[in-house]
Amino acid sequence: MAVATPLSPTANQLISWGLDPAWSRRVIIDGADGSPVDLHILDTGPGPKGTIVCVHGNPTWAYAWKDLLRELGDDWRVIAIDQVGMGYSERGRPRRLGERITELVTFCETEIVGPIILAAHDWGGPIAVGAAASLNVSALVLCNTAVAKPDDVAVPPLIATARRLVDLSCRRTPAFVAGTARMTAREHRVALNAPYRSAERREAVRDFVADIPVLPTDPSHDALAGAATTFATLDCPILLLWGGNDPVFHDRFLRDLRRRRPDADVERFADAGHLVALDKPIGSIVRAWLEAQPSNAPELEADNPGIGGVLSSIDQRRADPTPVYIGPDASLSWAELAHRSEVAAIALVADGGLAPGNRVSILIPPSPELLIATAAIWRAGGVPVVADASAGAMALRRLVRAAACSLVIGTPTTLAASIALRLAPGARRAAFAGLPGVIDLRRSTPGIPVPAVMQSASSLAAIVHTSGATGPAKAVRYTHAALVAQRGAMSTLIELGEGRAFTTSFGPFMLLAPLLGLTCIRPDFPVDDASRLGFDQLAAALGQGRVTTAWLSPASARAIVDTAEGRHAPIDLVMLAGAPITSDLVAGIRKVTGGVVAAPYGMTECLPVTDGIDPERVGTHGGTCVGHAVDGCSVLIEPRRPEDPTAWGDILVSAEWMFESYDQSYVANAEAEVFRDGRRFHVTGDVGYLEDGYLFHLGRRRHVIETESGPVASVAIEQPISAALTRSVAAVGVGPTGTQIVAVVVEGSGSLRIADEALARQARASTAQRIAAVLVGELPVDRRHRSKIDRSQLADDAGAFLAGR
Amino acid sequence: MTRVLVTGATSLLGGAVAQALAERGDEVTCLQRHSSGLGLTEVLADIRDAEAVRHAAQGHDAIVHLAALVAPNPRWADAVAINVGGTRHVLDAAQDCGRLLHVSSPSVAFADHASIGARAEAPTYAGRDAYAATKALAEQLVLVPSDVATVVLRPHLVWGPGDTQLVGRIVDRARQGRLVLPDHGRPLVATTFLDDAVSAIIAGLDRTGDDPDAWGRPLVVTGNDPRPLVELVGGILAAAGVSTTLRSIPAPLAGLAGRLIGRLWTGEEPPLTYFAARQLSVAHWYDLAETRRLLRWSPEVTVDVGLDRLADWYRSLAQD
Repeated sequence: MAVATPLSPTANQLISWGLDPAWSRRVIIDGADGSPVDLHILDTGPGPKGTIVCVHGNPTWAYAWKDLLRELGDDWRVIAIDQVGMGYSERGRPRRLGERITELVTFCETEIVGPIILAAHDWGGPIAVGAAASLNVSALVLCNTAVAKPDDVAVPPLIATARRLVDLSCRRTPAFVAGTARMTAREHRVALNAPYRSAERREAVRDFVADIPVLPTDPSHDALAGAATTFATLDCPILLLWGGNDPVFHDRFLRDLRRRRPDADVERFADAGHLVALDKPIGSIVRAWLEAQPSNAPELEADNPGIGGVLSSIDQRRADPTPVYIGPDASLSWAELAHRSEVAAIALVADGGLAPGNRVSILIPPSPELLIATAAIWRAGGVPVVADASAGAMALRRLVRAAACSLVIGTPTTLAASIALRLAPGARRAAFAGLPGVIDLRRSTPGIPVPAVMQSASSLAAIVHTSGATGPAKAVRYTHAALVAQRGAMSTLIELGEGRAFTTSFGPFMLLAPLLGLTCIRPDFPVDDASRLGFDQLAAALGQGRVTTAWLSPASARAIVDTAEGRHAPIDLVMLAGAPITSDLVAGIRKVTGGVVAAPYGMTECLPVTDGIDPERVGTHGGTCVGHAVDGCSVLIEPRRPEDPTAWGDILVSAEWMFESYDQSYVANAEAEVFRDGRRFHVTGDVGYLEDGYLFHLGRRRHVIETESGPVASVAIEQPISAALTRSVAAVGVGPTGTQIVAVVVEGSGSLRIADEALARQARASTAQRIAAVLVGELPVDRRHRSKIDRSQLADDAGAFLAGR
Repeated sequence: MTRVLVTGATSLLGGAVAQALAERGDEVTCLQRHSSGLGLTEVLADIRDAEAVRHAAQGHDAIVHLAALVAPNPRWADAVAINVGGTRHVLDAAQDCGRLLHVSSPSVAFADHASIGARAEAPTYAGRDAYAATKALAEQLVLVPSDVATVVLRPHLVWGPGDTQLVGRIVDRARQGRLVLPDHGRPLVATTFLDDAVSAIIAGLDRTGDDPDAWGRPLVVTGNDPRPLVELVGGILAAAGVSTTLRSIPAPLAGLAGRLIGRLWTGEEPPLTYFAARQLSVAHWYDLAETRRLLRWSPEVTVDVGLDRLADWYRSLAQD
């Protein structure tokens, strides 16, 4: 075969594509058959921190690594190679996967001294991983790739089509090249198409597709299997950067990689596609990840295997006919929970093929079935993914899809919705009902033993979604050890013991009942609207059992106070969870219940943090008193102005029952996790301060107003004004950070308008803070709690209003 | 003792600056067409007379240049001659003194969009408003690097007791029932109380003598208390004892009306110009950090305190 004369891209081309012409050069290596091969590479030249070798997929070229080259080229030597026959490298004879691996090894051995960081995309993945077996690799970064075809995946349709029509689609026409280039932003298309302008330049594109092993008899099958083995055993940190919107390497490939390497760090971008390396600023992420390796995290304690922890309460009370759950429609006894969760666990394993570590999405509203499903998954060694319908359909879809569950348990309604919304493509479905094609979790199969998977302390126990009330909803991972520790922490807050019950306005809290060994009484209200839990609903719940504790959102508490009309509903302890807690609300709920009112602080990532004692206590800088840190939980304040250590600052928390990490979000983890004195702390995103051992909460860090004279916490401005006006108010910053001025919005109906003079004067008189504008209008509140004011939205609205037009 | 020539001392701000300089012991000469009645040394001359300006500046260490034609709809030729030509004459005269404090206006950078926590932008206004356009040209002149130590200040909406420009116009129009605000006067506007404008100009004059960092760049001067326009107007009317209901028109309509009137109106004081309509329709407040740092000055009078003083002044007028 005639070898086409290699042509490098011109300097002008490279400049117009955002690449440095000095990076482009040619290297001649020995090919797999011994004859020389002329490669084109982009090489940023020596860097102090090491060498990164990037391997593109088909049909792209070294350009795919543009962001990595530009971002990391100063500190690392970044080399992006054009594979043989592709990009601007020599058009040689066709190559098999094994030969490409050999040539990559040869290239690295010729060009590089010392350890190598490998980055690869698409079918570059198995080549890089295959080569890693023969190289000194210190880290591996993979983007939308595979090392094996997952069992439950058909050949990717695009590849299947391409294979059938391989010569037409890949060589004779630019369809495959252009189709791939269209998967990313328009700005990249010219560069991606440039090396593949003629049919003869596309020969390797066709050969590459033809070489993809599908059957064990295919020539490259063994090479791919070897890469899979290497991947599982490679002794280096791995980062998976994943575009969640990829029709080729979709989420089931990610699930397969994750299953093979549970230790891999994952950053999944729901809105990026196949060419994630071009879609997202991966350079900065890879930099942060590389600089964090090897982790300076202290070694975790050795696993304590054999914790039956999360199920121990249930199994201890398997003969107990008293209820664990009482709802408006149905109740569940401890004995039923133990038995029915065993039946369901058998079905999950026998019919659903659930293996230890598999994720199961639960799409069930609070009900007996919710408790049974969760316990059954734990029995089978699975990981429940607890969705919260109140997060909203779109957030729910994003989170459930991202979790890539192998099974979905739902009701007939939610299962139908999950199909319509394509919530969990490829997952099997189960329900506590007989539906065609759906596993029936009520059906017992005689002769099969109840699964009893022993969980190690550090294994994943559950994934719970944050509410999204204070930012995008995130998936939070808990270990078994953390759940067991959480039970201990809760027991210091509320009295546990048989015969006691609690009630709550928070759907996910109902899952705590079996964990704590308490009865949960669910009031009759729609879980997505806490403000419809009023006095009548509360009183009806109290009539069902001995309720000693109520966990209420401020919206419910407000509704209860507003509808009490002088009546009483005795409860020993009321926990008001979530901002805003006002003193009149505390007084009101105390009057209605006659109990102790506490405002404990905590979040999905770490619950509880404080005991909530003395919510009406007044602190120097204002805010809500959330009590003392509970035993075993450390609270640190990192002052905004280090020269003033007594001032308020970021709240950091650390506890054994803290979450392990956010699922598949390396960046969110890096932002939310810091180490202080050898301990892992969660950066809560809240601000506050400690005074006389009490923690005072000043709201979200994003809601701090950055004025010319320094940061001001919005909550501290709002409290005195709200008290003076006896109306809900929100303070927001208007203008550029560092020059912001304060606008106060007083709750009122209708769209924003300037407050009348008397109201403005009264508001200004109640605070020393200078207020630029007093507005009146509706305060946007979050969908879930109906109480947290969306100050970011309000700041945008008020800013636009006061800008004029 | 500094010998200072102040141009335009018949205006409220010019007179107040001249008086404050004299009170602190500077030797002050005022230059304007008619006597200011301040009891200071005066040269009665027209700023358009280059020779007279040069002559008046002789023997002075510095010039504070405030003289300008401020009117809603002046003849274009007058505005050019006074605001651009006059500044040219002052700049020439300042070659001998070596120090110049030029008083400009944020209007020179007006670009029809809101200024929100903005820094001083380039004086590029080139629209139909004669005042803003000629003041922009004047500022461009003084910003050309030269041997003269030049500080350029842009005080925004100076007001206070005795003010006939801003306060006087608002009160007159309200009394005639002709006061209409775009969009109920919602944009945030920073204003400058007279005393703060005076102290800023004096600080700027001192910086011409001791801080090259402050030279050759425009610095915006305002109070640090932006308020919605309707609050400012309402406060001024309350201080003046005028009770009226403020009327509103949609901001885009105000702009359109301003355009039409600008085409058709031939008199000196049109009821509305496009420039004024836009000025009243969008926010104008500024990042003062650079001004504070370079001038070593800070505004001290809040809007509420300023309104109290204005009310006192109106009460004293009523008693006389």
